[in-house]
Order: sequence, then structure tokens, then C-alpha cells
Amino acid sequence: MNMTSSIRATAIFMSPAALIAIFIVMPPLLYVVYTSVNGLAFSLDLYADVVASKLFRQTLITTFVISGISCFVSLVLGFVVALHLASQPARRRAILLGLVLLPLWTSILVKCFAFMVLLGREGVINSILSWAFDAHIQLPMILNRIGTLIGMINWQVPLVVLPILASLLAIDEAVYRAASIMGAKPARIFWTVTVRLSLPGVLAGLLSIFVMSLGSFMVPALLGGPKDLMLSNLVDYYSRQVLDWPRASTISVILFAISVSFAAPLALWRRSRRI
Amino acid sequence: MTDIIDDPLQRRYRAVGTALAVSVYVFLLSPLVITIPMAFGTANTLTFPPTEFSLDLFRTFFNSPGWVNPLLNSIKIALATTSLSLFAGTLAAYWLVRREFLGRALITGVIMSPLIVPSVISGLGLYLYFSYFRINSSTLSIVLGHIMVVLPFVVVMIMAGMNKLDRNLEFGAELMGAGTIRMFVTVVLPQLVPSLVSAALFAFLSSFDEFILSWFLSGPDTITLPVRMYNALNWEVSPVIAAVSTLMMALSLVVCVAAISLRKATPADG
Repeated sequence: MNMTSSIRATAIFMSPAALIAIFIVMPPLLYVVYTSVNGLAFSLDLYADVVASKLFRQTLITTFVISGISCFVSLVLGFVVALHLASQPARRRAILLGLVLLPLWTSILVKCFAFMVLLGREGVINSILSWAFDAHIQLPMILNRIGTLIGMINWQVPLVVLPILASLLAIDEAVYRAASIMGAKPARIFWTVTVRLSLPGVLAGLLSIFVMSLGSFMVPALLGGPKDLMLSNLVDYYSRQVLDWPRASTISVILFAISVSFAAPLALWRRSRRI
Repeated sequence: MTDIIDDPLQRRYRAVGTALAVSVYVFLLSPLVITIPMAFGTANTLTFPPTEFSLDLFRTFFNSPGWVNPLLNSIKIALATTSLSLFAGTLAAYWLVRREFLGRALITGVIMSPLIVPSVISGLGLYLYFSYFRINSSTLSIVLGHIMVVLPFVVVMIMAGMNKLDRNLEFGAELMGAGTIRMFVTVVLPQLVPSLVSAALFAFLSSFDEFILSWFLSGPDTITLPVRMYNALNWEVSPVIAAVSTLMMALSLVVCVAAISLRKATPADG
């Protein structure tokens, strides 16, 4: 194929996606950056202001604490599930995997509603406890940190199962056989073979759920209390309630920078592993 | 990881592992399971388990314009998003898999960027950007926003499907004199049908369930079902939400089952 016809074909195949990239994907981000530095004045005053504000600092810490705890717990739970799935015969694995995929594809709003019913003061769990102990129990489990974490973990476990499962299934069975022939006890095999060899999947899964959880919005808004607001909620607060667009934009840019600083190593690492 | 070693210790570890895994499955599925019986309860109270069963909540849902209009909006938006992102995504995925061209890495990066940009930033940015053109709170603005977040998934899914195809068929067609476009339509597209259907289902579901962008972009007449549901959850947790949740879950289930069976239908391992 000669040069001109190749360029024409590229234009035909790529132009719809390129138009979307240029006119829909790029402008919002640029617009947010532009608004945050007060346009062409290019002033960083707002950044200094935001970083100095107590509300922002608190929210930043909350964001990291909630994301950190929920990702760690999700990782452990996800590993347990992935291990179980990997040990099943292929057919049963497919069915059980469906049980993991269904929550993954269910709207977070649906899950938040369910947790309101389950964990509420007069909710299912409190009713069961009240009945079991014959007392009026009203454990506060929603609109606080516990509710937020439960919601976050429930949302993240399915996401982390898939990469771990992939790397567990990639482990050659001969390695297990060799380890056991050499006399390794199950616990040792678990640490030196299963855990060590699935580390790539574990790391990839952990980083990707961490990046996603940094931007989470619905779970802290619906299951958390005022002390559980995360950065996304702060952006929403400034843009929709205070109508302070520049400040909302500034916080957005900071959130974006944080997300990218965790997502970029993941992307680079994935690319290097493919080669 | 089959039973190579069979000693009591190993078996005990396994039993513990299975018990733990089962409790995680229960944790994952409990929010889904609990909403269904509630949806078939009566309209007055939000109790679990409901004392009597009826279709009242679904009737309430389909009889109130406050719920039906958002449902119709969501369907309309999801259909438009699916068709447009499938069109752009399929063409781009084909070209990205098969050809090298100037700016390939750049355009891939931009198309994929919504995967790591938190939605709230895109939401705010699109809101500010669209106010400039005064198309805020229109259906168009929501569709454009949804295309942005759905496109990366469509491109990834179609690229995965493309990688399984035999390139020699394409060479053959071109050797016989078919132009690139004709070859694409007659040789590539028919083989891609399973991937196209899964991508379409997934795009529809993502758009239908998408909340944050719609939250920023929708106006009084263009409220989507998730936005309506969020408002309801924030102000009054009414029993109707159980019915809405069940409908949304039914959609997820259909997509999930269809995607899994399509994967099985593909001759390659999938």
C-alpha cells in the first residue's frame, strides 16, 4: 500500500476516535487546569490556599486512610477468593467466577442501598442481634467509617480477584509438585510458591484498586458520615454547593496528580512486563 | 493446584481456605440477595424479610413519572452511547491492532485516560466545558460524557477480540483486490461479532449505571435513573428503591450471563 492511501485509510479508521479524544476527552481536563490557575494569569495562589486549608488536609488524610485500609482488606479477601477459585475444577470455577462477576457489574448505588438496609440502626443485622440477645441493639454501622469501609471493600474485592486469579493460574503445577517432592510443608509451599509467584498479579490488583478508590464518590457520600468525606466529595461540595468552581478545579487537579502518580508506575510496569 | 499432596495438614488448610472463601462469597452477594425479596414486599414499609409479597412496588415505580422519565432517559442515553462508542471504538481498535502510524501512542493514551482520571474530575471539567457551549443539562451532553468513559472499555474489548483473528484472511482479501474498507466490512467485522456483542452489552450497562458524570451534567428534564436513585437515597429511603435496584440487577445479570456464554461460544479459549 502506498503512502497516501495509507494516510487516507488511517484518517478514515481513526477519525471518529480522534475527534472524541480531541473534542471530548482532552478539553475537560485542560479546562479544569485552566480554571485552577485563574486562566492566563497563571496564578498558583489557589493551590497554596487549598493546601493550607484545614478541610482539605483532613479530607486528604481521610482519603488515604480509607483507601489504604479498604484496599488492604480487599486484597486479603480477594486473595482468599482467588486461591479458592484457582483450586476448583474449571467448570465449577466458571460458575463461582460468575458469583464474583455479578457484584462487579452491579451498580454501586444498588449495593449502597442494600447496605443501608442491612447495616442501618433498625437494619437487618441490628434486628438479628436484638432478637438473638433479646435486647434493643442499635449498633451504628452506617453514616460512619465502618459503613464506608464495608461499602468500599464490597466494591473492591471483585476487582482485585481477577488479576490475582490470572497469576495464580499461570503458576506451573510442576513447581508445586517439585516443592512437595523436596519435602516442603504446605505452609512453606504456600509462602514460597503461591504467594511469591502470584506477586505480580497481587501488586497490579492492589495498585489498580487503590487508584480507583482514591476517586471514589458514592460510597463515602451514601454510607459515610461528615467525617468520611473523600476528595471527590470535596470537589462535589465546592462545585455544587458553594459554587466555587476555581477551588473545586484546584482540588480536582491535585486529586488527578495523586491518581496519576500511583497509576503511572502501574502502566509502565505492565508495559515492561509485556515485552 | 490439584491434590498432589494428600496429608491431613494440607486437608485442614484447605477446609479453612474454603470456609474463608465461602464467607467472602456471602459478603459479596448479600447486598444483591437482600434487595430482591424486599422489592416484592408491600409499599408501606421497608422491612426484611417482608411479611407479604406483592408487585406493588413495581406498580408504583411504573406509575410514577418521577421514576419512569429517568428510566426512559437512561435507556435513550445508553442506546446512543452504545452505538456511537461502538462505531468509533471498533474502527479505532482495528487500526490500533493492525497498523503503525504517526501519533498512535498519543491517541491511545488520550482515549484510555478516562480509565485513570477520577470521574469527578471529568464530570466537573465537562460541566465547565459544556457551559461554555451552553449545552449543559441536555441529553447530548450526557451522551458525549458517557462516550468518553465507555470508549476505553469498548476499545480494549474489541482489541482483545482482534488479537484472536487470523491476519492471513485479511491479507488474502487485500491480495484479491478488496480495498481496506471493503476488506474490513466483509472479512473482519463478521469474525468480530461475538466481541462486538459483548462490547455493546457492556457499553450499554456502563452507560445505564453511570452516575458521577450524569450527576454533574443532567438537568431537571434529563435526570437519569442512577441520579434519581441517588437523590432518593439521600433524602428518603423509600421502598420503591428496592424495586429499582432489582430492575438494575436484572439488567446486570442479563449482561453477565450473555457475556459469559458468548465467551464460551468463541472457538478460541477466550
